[in-house]
Amino acid sequence: MVEALAVASGKGGVGKTTSTLALGMALADEYDVTVVDADTGMANLCFHTGLADANTTLQDLLLDDADATVEDAVYERFGLSLVPCGTSLSAFREADPTLLREVVAELAADTDVLLLDSAAALGSQSAVLPLVLADRTVVVLQPTIPSLSDGLKVQEYARSYGTETAGVLFNRVRDDEAIDRVAEQAERYFGGPTLATIPESDAARAARRAGEPLLAHAPDSDAAAAYRRAAGRLEIQDGDEGAVADRFRSAVIPESP
Amino acid sequence: MSETAVGELDLPRGTLVRSRVGVAGALEAALSRDLTGYARIEPDSLLADGDPGVLTFADGVPVAAYCERGAKGDSRGVDALAALAVPGPCTVELYELPAGSLDRVHEQPSFTVPPGAPAEELADDATLAERTRERAPEEATDRGGASALESFLEDEERIAAIQEEARAEAEKRAAEWGLDGELGE
Ligand SMILES: Nc1ncnc2c1ncn2[C@@H]1O[C@H](COP(=O)(O)OP(=O)(O)OP(=O)(O)O)[C@@H](O)[C@H]1O
Ligand SMILES: [Mg+2]
Repeated sequence: MVEALAVASGKGGVGKTTSTLALGMALADEYDVTVVDADTGMANLCFHTGLADANTTLQDLLLDDADATVEDAVYERFGLSLVPCGTSLSAFREADPTLLREVVAELAADTDVLLLDSAAALGSQSAVLPLVLADRTVVVLQPTIPSLSDGLKVQEYARSYGTETAGVLFNRVRDDEAIDRVAEQAERYFGGPTLATIPESDAARAARRAGEPLLAHAPDSDAAAAYRRAAGRLEIQDGDEGAVADRFRSAVIPESP
Repeated sequence: MSETAVGELDLPRGTLVRSRVGVAGALEAALSRDLTGYARIEPDSLLADGDPGVLTFADGVPVAAYCERGAKGDSRGVDALAALAVPGPCTVELYELPAGSLDRVHEQPSFTVPPGAPAEELADDATLAERTRERAPEEATDRGGASALESFLEDEERIAAIQEEARAEAEKRAAEWGLDGELGE
Protein backbone atom coordinates (compact mmCIF):
# COMPACT_ATOMS: atom_id res chain seq x y z
CA MET A 1 0.00 0.00 0.00
CA VAL A 2 1.02 3.58 -0.43
CA GLU A 3 -0.47 7.00 0.02
CA ALA A 4 1.28 10.19 -1.04
CA LEU A 5 0.49 13.23 1.08
CA ALA A 6 1.62 16.75 0.24
CA VAL A 7 2.23 18.90 3.33
CA ALA A 8 1.36 22.39 2.16
CA SER A 9 0.59 25.83 3.51
CA GLY A 10 0.59 28.61 0.95
CA LYS A 11 2.50 30.86 3.32
CA GLY A 12 6.13 30.39 4.29
CA GLY A 13 7.51 29.64 7.72
CA VAL A 14 4.33 28.22 9.27
CA GLY A 15 6.02 24.94 10.15
CA LYS A 16 5.59 22.69 7.11
CA THR A 17 8.98 21.02 7.42
CA THR A 18 8.68 20.68 11.19
CA SER A 19 5.23 19.15 10.72
CA THR A 20 6.22 16.87 7.85
CA LEU A 21 9.01 15.31 9.88
CA ALA A 22 6.95 15.11 13.07
CA LEU A 23 4.01 13.45 11.32
CA GLY A 24 6.45 11.18 9.52
CA MET A 25 8.11 10.03 12.73
CA ALA A 26 4.78 9.49 14.45
CA LEU A 27 3.46 7.50 11.48
CA ALA A 28 6.67 5.48 11.33
CA ASP A 29 5.55 3.50 14.40
CA GLU A 30 3.04 1.82 12.15
CA TYR A 31 4.15 2.46 8.59
CA ASP A 32 7.15 2.57 6.34
CA VAL A 33 7.52 6.32 5.81
CA THR A 34 9.46 8.21 3.15
CA VAL A 35 9.83 11.99 3.38
CA VAL A 36 10.78 13.98 0.29
CA ASP A 37 11.83 17.63 0.31
CA ALA A 38 9.65 18.63 -2.62
CA ASP A 39 10.13 22.32 -1.78
CA THR A 40 12.86 22.37 -4.40
CA GLY A 41 13.10 26.15 -4.65
CA MET A 42 13.54 26.76 -0.90
CA ALA A 43 14.73 23.39 0.30
CA ASN A 44 15.32 23.19 4.04
CA LEU A 45 14.54 19.66 5.16
CA CYS A 46 18.29 19.04 5.25
CA PHE A 47 18.70 21.66 7.99
CA HIS A 48 16.07 19.93 10.12
CA THR A 49 17.75 16.54 9.80
CA GLY A 50 21.50 17.14 9.91
CA LEU A 51 21.75 16.38 6.20
CA ALA A 52 23.09 19.75 5.05
CA ASP A 53 26.22 18.02 3.76
CA ALA A 54 24.45 15.14 2.05
CA ASN A 55 26.34 14.06 -1.04
CA THR A 56 23.51 13.22 -3.35
CA THR A 57 20.11 14.88 -3.08
CA LEU A 58 16.88 15.29 -5.01
CA GLN A 59 18.55 18.15 -6.88
CA ASP A 60 20.90 15.67 -8.50
CA LEU A 61 17.96 13.52 -9.57
CA LEU A 62 16.20 16.43 -11.28
CA LEU A 63 19.02 17.12 -13.72
CA ASP A 64 18.43 15.97 -17.28
CA ASP A 65 21.79 14.24 -17.40
CA ALA A 66 21.43 12.79 -13.88
CA ASP A 67 23.80 9.93 -13.26
CA ALA A 68 22.70 9.44 -9.66
CA THR A 69 20.09 6.83 -8.83
CA VAL A 70 17.09 7.51 -6.59
CA GLU A 71 18.61 5.16 -4.03
CA ASP A 72 21.69 7.39 -3.76
CA ALA A 73 19.50 10.24 -2.49
CA VAL A 74 17.69 8.25 0.19
CA TYR A 75 19.03 8.51 3.76
CA GLU A 76 17.82 6.30 6.58
CA ARG A 77 17.55 8.59 9.61
CA PHE A 78 15.24 8.81 12.63
CA GLY A 79 13.32 5.76 11.47
CA LEU A 80 12.46 7.48 8.19
CA SER A 81 13.67 7.27 4.63
CA LEU A 82 14.65 10.85 3.90
CA VAL A 83 15.17 12.40 0.48
CA PRO A 84 16.66 15.85 1.09
CA CYS A 85 17.02 18.48 -1.60
CA GLY A 86 20.16 20.55 -2.12
CA THR A 87 20.06 24.32 -1.93
CA SER A 88 22.22 25.27 -4.88
CA LEU A 89 20.56 28.02 -6.86
CA SER A 90 22.23 27.09 -10.13
CA ALA A 91 21.20 23.46 -9.76
CA PHE A 92 17.64 24.62 -9.08
CA ARG A 93 17.67 26.66 -12.27
CA GLU A 94 18.97 23.74 -14.30
CA ALA A 95 16.55 21.28 -12.74
CA ASP A 96 13.71 19.82 -14.74
CA PRO A 97 10.91 19.85 -12.15
CA THR A 98 8.89 17.33 -14.11
CA LEU A 99 11.47 14.65 -13.31
CA LEU A 100 10.04 14.74 -9.76
CA ARG A 101 7.21 12.60 -11.11
CA GLU A 102 9.59 9.77 -11.97
CA VAL A 103 11.39 10.03 -8.61
CA VAL A 104 8.13 9.96 -6.69
CA ALA A 105 6.90 7.01 -8.75
CA GLU A 106 10.00 5.05 -7.91
CA LEU A 107 9.83 5.89 -4.19
CA ALA A 108 6.13 5.03 -4.07
CA ALA A 109 6.84 1.51 -5.16
CA ASP A 110 8.67 0.81 -1.94
CA THR A 111 6.97 2.59 0.97
CA ASP A 112 3.65 2.88 2.82
CA VAL A 113 3.43 6.62 3.29
CA LEU A 114 5.12 9.21 1.13
CA LEU A 115 5.21 12.70 2.61
CA LEU A 116 6.02 15.57 0.25
CA ASP A 117 7.23 18.69 2.07
CA SER A 118 5.85 21.26 -0.35
CA ALA A 119 6.64 24.82 -1.37
CA ALA A 120 5.10 27.84 0.30
CA ALA A 121 4.60 29.45 -3.08
CA LEU A 122 2.05 28.73 -5.79
CA GLY A 123 3.66 30.75 -8.52
CA SER A 124 5.52 28.12 -10.50
CA GLN A 125 5.12 24.70 -11.99
CA SER A 126 7.70 23.22 -9.63
CA ALA A 127 5.88 24.61 -6.59
CA VAL A 128 2.52 23.21 -7.65
CA LEU A 129 3.72 19.80 -8.80
CA PRO A 130 3.62 18.14 -5.34
CA LEU A 131 -0.05 19.13 -5.08
CA VAL A 132 -0.67 17.56 -8.49
CA LEU A 133 1.14 14.33 -7.68
CA ALA A 134 -0.16 13.73 -4.14
CA ASP A 135 -3.23 11.70 -3.28
CA ARG A 136 -4.23 14.17 -0.57
CA THR A 137 -2.85 17.21 1.26
CA VAL A 138 -2.24 18.09 4.87
CA VAL A 139 -2.63 21.85 5.22
CA VAL A 140 -0.49 23.52 7.89
CA LEU A 141 -1.91 26.75 9.26
CA GLN A 142 -1.09 29.34 11.85
CA PRO A 143 -4.11 30.85 13.55
CA THR A 144 -4.03 34.15 11.65
CA ILE A 145 -6.10 35.57 8.81
CA PRO A 146 -3.20 35.72 6.31
CA SER A 147 -2.34 32.08 6.99
CA LEU A 148 -5.94 30.87 6.72
CA SER A 149 -6.43 32.84 3.49
CA ASP A 150 -3.35 31.22 2.00
CA GLY A 151 -4.37 27.80 3.29
CA LEU A 152 -7.76 28.12 1.62
CA LYS A 153 -6.00 29.09 -1.56
CA VAL A 154 -3.66 26.09 -1.49
CA GLN A 155 -6.60 23.81 -0.84
CA GLU A 156 -8.35 25.19 -3.90
CA TYR A 157 -5.26 24.78 -6.07
CA ALA A 158 -4.90 21.17 -4.92
CA ARG A 159 -8.59 20.49 -5.48
CA SER A 160 -8.27 21.77 -9.03
CA TYR A 161 -5.98 18.80 -9.61
CA GLY A 162 -8.31 16.40 -7.84
CA THR A 163 -6.25 16.38 -4.62
CA GLU A 164 -8.50 16.67 -1.54
CA THR A 165 -7.55 17.77 1.97
CA ALA A 166 -6.78 14.94 4.41
CA GLY A 167 -6.66 17.25 7.39
CA VAL A 168 -5.53 20.54 8.84
CA LEU A 169 -2.87 21.29 11.46
CA PHE A 170 -2.91 24.51 13.45
CA ASN A 171 0.67 25.27 14.41
CA ARG A 172 2.23 27.77 16.82
CA VAL A 173 -0.96 28.13 18.80
CA ARG A 174 -0.75 30.48 21.75
CA ASP A 175 -4.36 30.93 22.77
CA ASP A 176 -5.80 27.56 23.76
CA GLU A 177 -9.28 28.80 24.40
CA ALA A 178 -9.89 30.58 21.13
CA ILE A 179 -8.33 27.86 19.00
CA ASP A 180 -11.09 25.35 19.67
CA ARG A 181 -13.67 27.77 18.33
CA VAL A 182 -11.42 28.63 15.38
CA ALA A 183 -10.77 24.97 14.57
CA GLU A 184 -14.45 24.21 14.65
CA GLN A 185 -15.26 27.12 12.36
CA ALA A 186 -12.41 26.24 10.01
CA GLU A 187 -13.64 22.68 9.57
CA ARG A 188 -16.60 24.07 7.63
CA TYR A 189 -14.22 25.28 4.92
CA PHE A 190 -11.55 22.61 4.82
CA GLY A 191 -12.04 19.18 3.31
CA GLY A 192 -10.56 17.33 6.27
CA PRO A 193 -10.71 17.52 10.06
CA THR A 194 -8.42 19.49 12.34
CA LEU A 195 -5.83 16.81 13.09
CA ALA A 196 -4.36 18.67 16.06
CA THR A 197 -3.40 22.07 17.37
CA ILE A 198 0.33 22.34 18.01
CA PRO A 199 1.37 24.80 20.71
CA GLU A 200 3.97 27.50 20.24
CA SER A 201 6.96 25.56 21.48
CA ASP A 202 10.53 26.32 22.51
CA ALA A 203 11.27 22.65 21.83
CA ALA A 204 10.37 23.09 18.14
CA ARG A 205 12.80 25.99 17.81
CA ALA A 206 15.52 24.14 19.71
CA ALA A 207 15.05 21.08 17.50
CA ARG A 208 15.54 23.17 14.37
CA ARG A 209 18.70 24.70 15.85
CA ALA A 210 20.00 21.24 16.73
CA GLY A 211 19.28 19.99 13.22
CA GLU A 212 16.97 17.27 14.49
CA PRO A 213 13.28 16.54 13.97
CA LEU A 214 11.14 17.58 16.95
CA LEU A 215 10.16 14.01 17.82
CA ALA A 216 13.82 13.00 18.02
CA HIS A 217 14.99 16.11 19.87
CA ALA A 218 12.13 16.49 22.35
CA PRO A 219 9.87 13.43 22.20
CA ASP A 220 8.29 14.31 25.55
CA SER A 221 7.35 17.87 24.64
CA ASP A 222 3.72 18.96 24.38
CA ALA A 223 4.23 19.75 20.72
CA ALA A 224 5.54 16.23 20.03
CA ALA A 225 2.52 14.75 21.81
CA ALA A 226 0.22 16.90 19.69
CA TYR A 227 1.86 15.67 16.49
CA ARG A 228 1.40 12.07 17.63
CA ARG A 229 -2.30 12.79 18.14
CA ALA A 230 -2.43 14.30 14.66
CA ALA A 231 -0.85 11.22 13.12
CA GLY A 232 -3.35 9.04 14.97
CA ARG A 233 -6.24 10.94 13.44
CA LEU A 234 -4.82 10.80 9.94
CA GLU A 235 -6.45 7.83 8.29
CA ILE A 236 -3.92 6.60 5.78
CA GLN A 237 -5.61 5.22 2.72
CA ASP A 238 -4.52 2.09 0.95
CA GLY A 239 -3.37 2.70 -2.54
CA ASP A 240 -2.08 -0.04 -4.76
CA GLU A 241 1.59 0.84 -5.18
CA GLY A 242 1.66 -0.25 -8.79
CA ALA A 243 -1.34 1.89 -9.65
CA VAL A 244 0.03 4.88 -7.76
CA ALA A 245 3.42 4.60 -9.42
CA ASP A 246 1.72 4.36 -12.80
CA ARG A 247 -0.37 7.41 -12.04
CA PHE A 248 2.74 9.44 -11.24
CA ARG A 249 4.50 8.23 -14.34
CA SER A 250 1.60 8.79 -16.65
CA ALA A 251 0.85 12.27 -15.33
CA VAL A 252 0.72 14.28 -18.52
CA ILE A 253 3.40 16.72 -17.58
CA PRO A 254 5.00 18.65 -20.40
CA GLU A 255 8.54 19.84 -20.78
CA SER A 256 9.28 22.74 -18.44
CA PRO A 257 9.19 26.07 -20.27
CA MET B 1 -7.68 71.04 17.67
CA SER B 2 -10.30 70.04 15.08
CA GLU B 3 -11.96 66.66 15.10
CA THR B 4 -11.53 64.08 12.40
CA ALA B 5 -14.49 61.74 12.55
CA VAL B 6 -13.74 58.31 11.21
CA GLY B 7 -17.13 56.71 11.41
CA GLU B 8 -18.06 56.65 15.06
CA LEU B 9 -14.51 56.85 16.27
CA ASP B 10 -14.00 60.56 16.85
CA LEU B 11 -10.33 61.41 16.83
CA PRO B 12 -8.65 64.77 17.28
CA ARG B 13 -6.67 65.63 14.14
CA GLY B 14 -3.05 64.70 14.65
CA THR B 15 0.27 65.69 13.16
CA LEU B 16 1.35 63.64 10.19
CA VAL B 17 4.58 61.80 11.01
CA ARG B 18 4.72 59.19 8.23
CA SER B 19 2.94 58.91 4.93
CA ARG B 20 2.75 56.30 2.22
CA VAL B 21 4.13 53.50 4.37
CA GLY B 22 2.85 49.92 4.51
CA VAL B 23 1.11 48.57 7.60
CA ALA B 24 4.27 46.89 8.88
CA GLY B 25 6.22 50.13 8.48
CA ALA B 26 3.55 52.09 10.33
CA LEU B 27 3.32 49.60 13.21
CA GLU B 28 7.10 49.49 13.46
CA ALA B 29 7.34 53.31 13.47
CA ALA B 30 4.59 53.63 16.07
CA LEU B 31 6.30 51.15 18.35
CA SER B 32 9.76 52.64 18.02
CA ARG B 33 8.62 56.21 18.75
CA ASP B 34 6.13 55.27 21.50
CA LEU B 35 3.50 56.93 19.42
CA THR B 36 0.18 58.04 20.78
CA GLY B 37 -1.98 58.70 17.78
CA TYR B 38 -3.50 56.81 14.91
CA ALA B 39 -2.89 55.27 11.51
CA ARG B 40 -5.24 55.74 8.57
CA ILE B 41 -5.15 52.54 6.56
CA GLU B 42 -6.25 52.45 2.95
CA PRO B 43 -6.12 49.05 1.27
CA ASP B 44 -4.91 49.33 -2.34
CA SER B 45 -6.80 46.18 -3.28
CA LEU B 46 -9.97 46.45 -5.33
CA LEU B 47 -11.47 43.64 -3.29
CA ALA B 48 -11.69 45.98 -0.32
CA ASP B 49 -13.29 48.72 -2.42
CA GLY B 50 -10.64 51.01 -0.96
CA ASP B 51 -12.62 51.57 2.21
CA PRO B 52 -10.31 53.03 4.80
CA GLY B 53 -9.91 52.16 8.41
CA VAL B 54 -8.16 53.57 11.41
CA LEU B 55 -6.04 52.05 14.12
CA THR B 56 -5.17 53.98 17.28
CA PHE B 57 -2.08 53.68 19.46
CA ALA B 58 -1.18 54.45 23.05
CA ASP B 59 2.54 54.60 23.77
CA GLY B 60 3.35 52.71 20.59
CA VAL B 61 0.90 49.86 21.16
CA PRO B 62 -2.29 49.42 19.10
CA VAL B 63 -5.50 49.89 21.10
CA ALA B 64 -8.58 50.45 18.94
CA ALA B 65 -9.68 49.79 15.37
CA TYR B 66 -12.49 50.92 13.14
CA CYS B 67 -13.20 50.21 9.48
CA GLU B 68 -15.79 51.74 7.21
CA ARG B 69 -16.37 48.31 5.74
CA GLY B 70 -17.28 45.03 7.32
CA ALA B 71 -19.56 42.02 7.05
CA LYS B 72 -22.38 44.10 8.55
CA GLY B 73 -21.66 47.56 7.19
CA ASP B 74 -18.95 49.26 9.23
CA SER B 75 -16.95 47.39 11.83
CA ARG B 76 -15.14 47.82 15.12
CA GLY B 77 -12.42 46.14 17.12
CA VAL B 78 -11.37 42.70 15.89
CA ASP B 79 -14.12 42.82 13.24
CA ALA B 80 -12.47 45.93 11.84
CA LEU B 81 -9.11 44.13 11.78
CA ALA B 82 -10.70 41.26 9.88
CA ALA B 83 -12.18 43.72 7.38
CA LEU B 84 -8.79 45.41 6.94
CA ALA B 85 -6.87 42.13 6.61
CA VAL B 86 -7.14 41.98 2.85
CA PRO B 87 -4.40 40.51 0.72
CA GLY B 88 -2.12 42.99 -0.99
CA PRO B 89 -0.56 46.25 0.08
CA CYS B 90 -2.14 49.12 1.97
CA THR B 91 -1.25 52.77 2.04
CA VAL B 92 -0.91 54.07 5.57
CA GLU B 93 -0.53 57.52 7.09
CA LEU B 94 0.60 57.80 10.67
CA TYR B 95 -0.48 60.72 12.89
CA GLU B 96 0.76 61.76 16.29
CA LEU B 97 -1.29 63.22 19.13
CA PRO B 98 -0.39 64.62 22.53
CA ALA B 99 -0.12 61.94 25.21
CA GLY B 100 -3.42 61.21 26.89
CA SER B 101 -5.57 62.77 24.17
CA LEU B 102 -7.02 59.41 23.19
CA ASP B 103 -7.89 58.29 26.71
CA ARG B 104 -11.59 58.93 26.18
CA VAL B 105 -11.62 57.09 22.84
CA HIS B 106 -9.77 54.19 24.36
CA GLU B 107 -12.42 53.75 27.03
CA GLN B 108 -14.84 52.30 24.47
CA PRO B 109 -14.37 48.54 24.76
CA SER B 110 -16.16 47.69 21.52
CA PHE B 111 -13.27 49.20 19.56
CA THR B 112 -10.35 47.60 21.34
CA VAL B 113 -8.10 44.95 19.81
CA PRO B 114 -5.43 42.64 21.28
CA PRO B 115 -2.08 44.48 21.09
CA GLY B 116 -0.35 41.94 18.83
CA ALA B 117 -3.29 41.36 16.50
CA PRO B 118 -2.67 44.19 14.00
CA ALA B 119 0.91 42.97 13.39
CA GLU B 120 -0.28 39.40 12.97
CA GLU B 121 -3.37 40.00 10.88
CA LEU B 122 -2.50 43.12 8.88
CA ALA B 123 1.29 42.88 8.58
CA ASP B 124 1.64 39.09 8.85
CA ASP B 125 4.61 39.63 11.15
CA ALA B 126 4.75 37.30 14.16
CA THR B 127 7.99 38.78 15.50
CA LEU B 128 6.65 42.31 15.49
CA ALA B 129 3.49 41.00 17.19
CA GLU B 130 5.58 39.43 19.92
CA ARG B 131 7.59 42.60 20.47
CA THR B 132 4.36 44.59 20.63
CA ARG B 133 2.84 42.23 23.20
CA GLU B 134 5.94 42.60 25.34
CA ARG B 135 5.47 46.36 25.39
CA ALA B 136 1.74 46.31 26.06
CA PRO B 137 0.32 47.00 29.51
CA GLU B 138 -0.64 43.77 31.26
CA GLU B 139 -4.39 44.33 31.22
CA ALA B 140 -4.27 44.73 27.43
CA THR B 141 -2.60 41.40 26.67
CA ASP B 142 -5.23 39.24 28.27
CA ARG B 143 -8.10 40.93 26.54
CA GLY B 144 -10.13 37.81 25.77
CA GLY B 145 -13.15 37.43 23.57
CA ALA B 146 -13.53 36.55 19.93
CA SER B 147 -10.59 37.12 17.64
CA ALA B 148 -10.21 38.77 14.26
CA LEU B 149 -9.74 35.29 12.84
CA GLU B 150 -13.13 34.18 14.14
CA SER B 151 -14.69 37.25 12.60
CA PHE B 152 -13.00 36.35 9.30
CA LEU B 153 -14.25 32.76 9.45
CA GLU B 154 -17.81 33.94 10.03
CA ASP B 155 -17.77 35.84 6.75
CA GLU B 156 -18.87 33.03 4.44
CA GLU B 157 -19.21 35.29 1.44
CA ARG B 158 -15.69 36.51 1.74
CA ILE B 159 -14.32 33.00 2.05
CA ALA B 160 -16.34 31.86 -0.94
CA ALA B 161 -14.82 34.78 -2.87
CA ILE B 162 -11.29 33.72 -1.88
CA GLN B 163 -12.00 30.16 -2.97
CA GLU B 164 -13.53 31.20 -6.27
CA GLU B 165 -10.65 33.49 -7.07
CA ALA B 166 -8.12 30.77 -6.22
CA ARG B 167 -9.93 28.23 -8.40
CA ALA B 168 -9.97 30.58 -11.38
CA GLU B 169 -6.31 31.42 -10.83
CA ALA B 170 -5.35 27.76 -10.50
CA GLU B 171 -7.06 26.89 -13.75
CA LYS B 172 -5.55 29.80 -15.62
CA ARG B 173 -2.08 28.92 -14.38
CA ALA B 174 -2.55 25.23 -15.12
CA ALA B 175 -3.08 26.18 -18.73
CA GLU B 176 0.04 28.37 -18.69
CA TRP B 177 2.11 25.56 -17.22
CA GLY B 178 0.63 22.95 -19.51
CA LEU B 179 -0.83 21.19 -16.47
CA ASP B 180 -4.42 21.50 -17.67
CA GLY B 181 -4.38 17.80 -18.55
CA GLU B 182 -4.08 17.14 -14.81
CA LEU B 183 -7.09 19.18 -13.78
CA GLY B 184 -9.87 17.24 -12.07
CA GLU B 185 -13.48 17.47 -13.13
N1 LIG C 1 5.15 24.89 17.14
C1 LIG C 1 6.22 25.69 16.97
N2 LIG C 1 6.62 26.51 17.98
C2 LIG C 1 7.68 27.33 17.80
N3 LIG C 1 8.42 27.39 16.72
C3 LIG C 1 8.08 26.60 15.68
C4 LIG C 1 6.97 25.72 15.74
N4 LIG C 1 6.88 25.07 14.56
C5 LIG C 1 7.89 25.53 13.80
N5 LIG C 1 8.62 26.45 14.47
C6 LIG C 1 9.81 27.17 14.01
O1 LIG C 1 9.45 28.02 12.95
C7 LIG C 1 10.45 28.06 11.97
C8 LIG C 1 9.87 27.65 10.62
O2 LIG C 1 9.48 26.29 10.70
P1 LIG C 1 9.59 25.34 9.44
O3 LIG C 1 10.95 25.42 8.85
O4 LIG C 1 9.10 24.01 9.84
O5 LIG C 1 8.53 26.06 8.52
P2 LIG C 1 8.27 25.88 6.96
O6 LIG C 1 6.82 26.13 6.77
O7 LIG C 1 8.80 24.60 6.49
O8 LIG C 1 9.10 27.07 6.39
P3 LIG C 1 9.49 27.34 4.85
O9 LIG C 1 8.26 27.90 4.23
O10 LIG C 1 10.59 28.32 4.96
O11 LIG C 1 9.90 26.02 4.27
C9 LIG C 1 11.56 27.13 12.46
O12 LIG C 1 12.55 27.87 13.09
C10 LIG C 1 10.86 26.22 13.44
O13 LIG C 1 11.71 25.75 14.44
MG1 LIG D 1 10.15 24.13 4.94
